[in-house]
Amino acid sequence: MGRRVGVGFVLQPEERYLGLLEPVFGELGDYFEIAPETTWWAEEDGSLRTNGFAERFAELGERWAPASAVSKPFVAHGVGLSLGGARPEDRPRQRRWQRRIAEDHRRFNFAWLSDHLAVTDIGGEAHALPLPLVPTPTVAALVRRRLAELRSIVPAVAVENAAHMFTFGDPLEETELIAGVLELPGSHLLLDLYNLVMMAENMGFAAADYLARIDLSRVIELHIAGGSWSPDGWLPSGRSYLLDSHSSAVPEAVWSLLEQVLPRCTGLRGVTLERMEGTVGEGDVRAIEAELRRLRAVVEASG
Amino acid sequence: MSEERSSSELGRADDPAEVGVAQLVALEEGLAVALRARDPERALAELALRPELGGLGRRVAAISGDGFRLSALLVARLRFERLVQGSDDASAWFDRDPGGFAAAFRRYHASVPASALFPVDEAELFSRWCEDAALDP
Repeated sequence: MGRRVGVGFVLQPEERYLGLLEPVFGELGDYFEIAPETTWWAEEDGSLRTNGFAERFAELGERWAPASAVSKPFVAHGVGLSLGGARPEDRPRQRRWQRRIAEDHRRFNFAWLSDHLAVTDIGGEAHALPLPLVPTPTVAALVRRRLAELRSIVPAVAVENAAHMFTFGDPLEETELIAGVLELPGSHLLLDLYNLVMMAENMGFAAADYLARIDLSRVIELHIAGGSWSPDGWLPSGRSYLLDSHSSAVPEAVWSLLEQVLPRCTGLRGVTLERMEGTVGEGDVRAIEAELRRLRAVVEASG
Repeated sequence: MSEERSSSELGRADDPAEVGVAQLVALEEGLAVALRARDPERALAELALRPELGGLGRRVAAISGDGFRLSALLVARLRFERLVQGSDDASAWFDRDPGGFAAAFRRYHASVPASALFPVDEAELFSRWCEDAALDP
């Protein structure tokens, strides 16, 4: 029996985005991906409560449920868990987030949970931008420990390869960090193909060299997206970088990589098209629909 | 065998496996400050020389200056968006006086650690800073 790979789409906490795209992702998506923290707000004591988007996302899941289920499936993809952070002082926050995720899981029944191979709570500051990790055994152990805690909440967990503007040395060392993290049994990789293309372009390596160093059988999910170049005037040097902005069409380099890796990702369960809130107007809807249809065709052609 | 030692594939001669949590914490604290500095590249160069980083200093010294400066810009941009999303006052100030608001935001970002996770908390931080700075948003 062949594997069953779903096609997913990201739900963002923005009414305009959801309103414009609902007919598209409702009809063409097999599952919805959400960032759990976009459905929260914090009380003064730090405890986390759900905002209106938790209800909104759940309603969308129920409205577009397949005939045999009460909801369209959900997967969780966080940004702020800070899996690789080293500060012991961040542990209480992480525990609060884990408790909140456990409550969210009771509502959404996440098929799997992922976050970035990065640090976001850095030196006690919440910088929101996932920042790179030093590829050392100590860091791999920190990430494994957090993943093991999360796996006790959602049985399938994954880390996503990075989209950074700098690294602590050779960017290909990230593959060694991933291997160290995946020593945790039952953990997986979320391979973001746009991130890989972006890093290869900005850091000057070949995506194929990166792919040759990772175990693709551990990939549970693939991400595809499009981005933009930083304006020339942002840096005194005048240099532009490809940004992880999820703001435009998926480039052909990403589609090409997708076709290459799909047959090799033997444990794959889903491919998700990502798009950022604030980047979708009425004129983008048909293009996103076409991308989802193309994605399904590519997935089905891969067997 | 400890979990820290089980990742035998990681580690280099110049960055050995004995990189410990204390060094990583010192690195994170230094990077957090450098990312909000008025001159992030200069702050990064100073961070690379700090003895508490040990062997990690060599890795910090090798960071791309452009890449770090761009990261600092993105950090500021994300905080800016978080603030205007969480604060009607800040959003209105930006609409009527973009230059004045941007200047105030730069001062705020450089002087106030980014401890807020959610827009409403960023708005509260900014409101307190405006009071302290005798600014009326």
